[in-house]
Amino acid sequence: MAKKQHVIKGTAVRLTGADRSFYLLVDIFLWVMLFIIAIPMWSTITLSFRPNDFIGTNIEGMFLMPWNWSTAAYKALLGNNGFIMAFANSLKILVMGVTCSLLLTIPLAYVLSVQTLPGRKWLNILVIVPYIFNVGMIPSYLLVTNLGLIDKLVAVFLPGAVSTYNCIIMRSFFEGIPGELKESARIDGCTEIGVLVRIVLPLSKAIILTVGLFYGVSFWNDFFHAMLYLNRNELQPLPILLRNILMASGMNEYVEVNAFGEAPIAAIKAASVFMSAIPMILAYPFIQKYFTKGTLLGSVKG
Amino acid sequence: MAKSKELNNRSPLVRDIVRHRAVYALLAIPLAYYIIFKYVPIWNGQIAFRDYMALDGVLGSRWIGLENFRTFFHSFYFWELLRNTLMYSFGKIVFSLPLAILLSITIYECRRTRLRKVVQTLTYLPHFLSWVIMYGILLVLLAPGDGIVNDIVKAVGGQPVDFLTNTKAFPWIVILSDAWKEMGWSAIIFIAALMGIDMSLFEAAMVEGANAWQRVRYITLPSIAPVIVTVLLLRIGTILDAGFNQLFMLYSPAVYSVGDIIDTWVYRQGLLEFQFGLATAVGLFKGLIGMLLIFLSNRLTRKISGSSLF
Repeated sequence: MAKKQHVIKGTAVRLTGADRSFYLLVDIFLWVMLFIIAIPMWSTITLSFRPNDFIGTNIEGMFLMPWNWSTAAYKALLGNNGFIMAFANSLKILVMGVTCSLLLTIPLAYVLSVQTLPGRKWLNILVIVPYIFNVGMIPSYLLVTNLGLIDKLVAVFLPGAVSTYNCIIMRSFFEGIPGELKESARIDGCTEIGVLVRIVLPLSKAIILTVGLFYGVSFWNDFFHAMLYLNRNELQPLPILLRNILMASGMNEYVEVNAFGEAPIAAIKAASVFMSAIPMILAYPFIQKYFTKGTLLGSVKG
Repeated sequence: MAKSKELNNRSPLVRDIVRHRAVYALLAIPLAYYIIFKYVPIWNGQIAFRDYMALDGVLGSRWIGLENFRTFFHSFYFWELLRNTLMYSFGKIVFSLPLAILLSITIYECRRTRLRKVVQTLTYLPHFLSWVIMYGILLVLLAPGDGIVNDIVKAVGGQPVDFLTNTKAFPWIVILSDAWKEMGWSAIIFIAALMGIDMSLFEAAMVEGANAWQRVRYITLPSIAPVIVTVLLLRIGTILDAGFNQLFMLYSPAVYSVGDIIDTWVYRQGLLEFQFGLATAVGLFKGLIGMLLIFLSNRLTRKISGSSLF
């Protein structure tokens, strides 16, 4: 044993010079990527904790020690009615949107997965056509206007409540459930809704969570529909408020944030960015666990 | 007994339909939803061929044939919009696809478990952040007065640049910020393909004395080549979607000449200038081209990898 043996992909080998340079470059590349991803996030977070009397460059600001952090920006945001209201609106849109989306997507995906259904092929075409042929935003805008949904929260989530992509992922999953299970339930006198509720749904928790998360992320992040359809201030969700805060060059432009005297403007902006991202960061462990599976499911089968 | 006899007398199709009546009942609400929210907009798309007036409604407005399309194709911004749209789409493919492939291979090859996990976790976090949040992060980096990048520019003796209103810098900001946000997410599909490589290939190569570079060159890359081609084709299928949310957040009148894409223009013409007919015509044009591209890329994908989207 003159040289140390390494195990690479299950095989024991001696590393040559070329191997060593390869693995070194791999490590360097990943470290560089780590910094490229982390620095913008870290600088935003430290900026949000920067006290009013901070003197120094932004690079020095990134090394601000936690015991010097000031929470003034967060206190100001959480003490602000406009911010709380926007946060509450976003939560409302999230909960109502995800509920509504799942209530529409689950039955649709289930029906499309019933292999023996007459007309199944036509239903699939019916679902796919609007996905492939996108007529753009104006015709949908006219529809929402004509339905009288302007200045109603439903206008934000209803037009996008069923995503064909999510529906196809879910259908593929339902198709993978053994047909014998459903058949035996039917023989035992279960109705079709019974089969869905008692057999299919309990086996589909993972996919329902995945698709629910997909919808949740899109509703939480949506600012475009809110901007189009909600004019009244008290209905505006967080992304719209965040956009207003970020676009205001001085806080005085943004009347409701006027009261923030304690913290620097840049800190308030950074804090509102971080606060808007918090639900996504909290959901991230779940997202990691289920999203990858769901995405791959959709890309492999469909 | 009487009922089943009655059923047996009907044709097989009708019997089949009756047998599935509960399934159709489940379909009622989603179907109504599809018709209202997915098909009525397609129906509304006809205003592309009308001189749309809000008071007259969709059906009451005057037919003007292809007038709206003609206006758009003959206008000077047609080529500018097309150029910008394609510039961003191709720019994003050229930058983020190799980056995603490189990232997936390095993550797959990395022998330090913790480094690998941390990079993997962090790189696809930004995918879940909205472009509003991204705009906030970009301001922290790029703001003319107190952004970090300008601190560095000043430190090396340069003049601070307002990157987001500078027509030279703006396209790079768009392409690079998209690469930053999406590279980890785009890498997932390649990582999944890499996980499927048969280990005995590597073992055989190592027994033959192939080094790490040769293993990547002759095993890893060829193994994921079909996936790379598939992803490339899918991206080309949506080439006219250059990223509405991103550009809408980042652009401003100062950079319209390089920042305006078809979708942002449709938004401004339709919803700010109330040129509904013209904006719909452009949307319809984009939708038709997009549909052709999707069919084309889907057909090619099926030929190459044997599986396809639909």
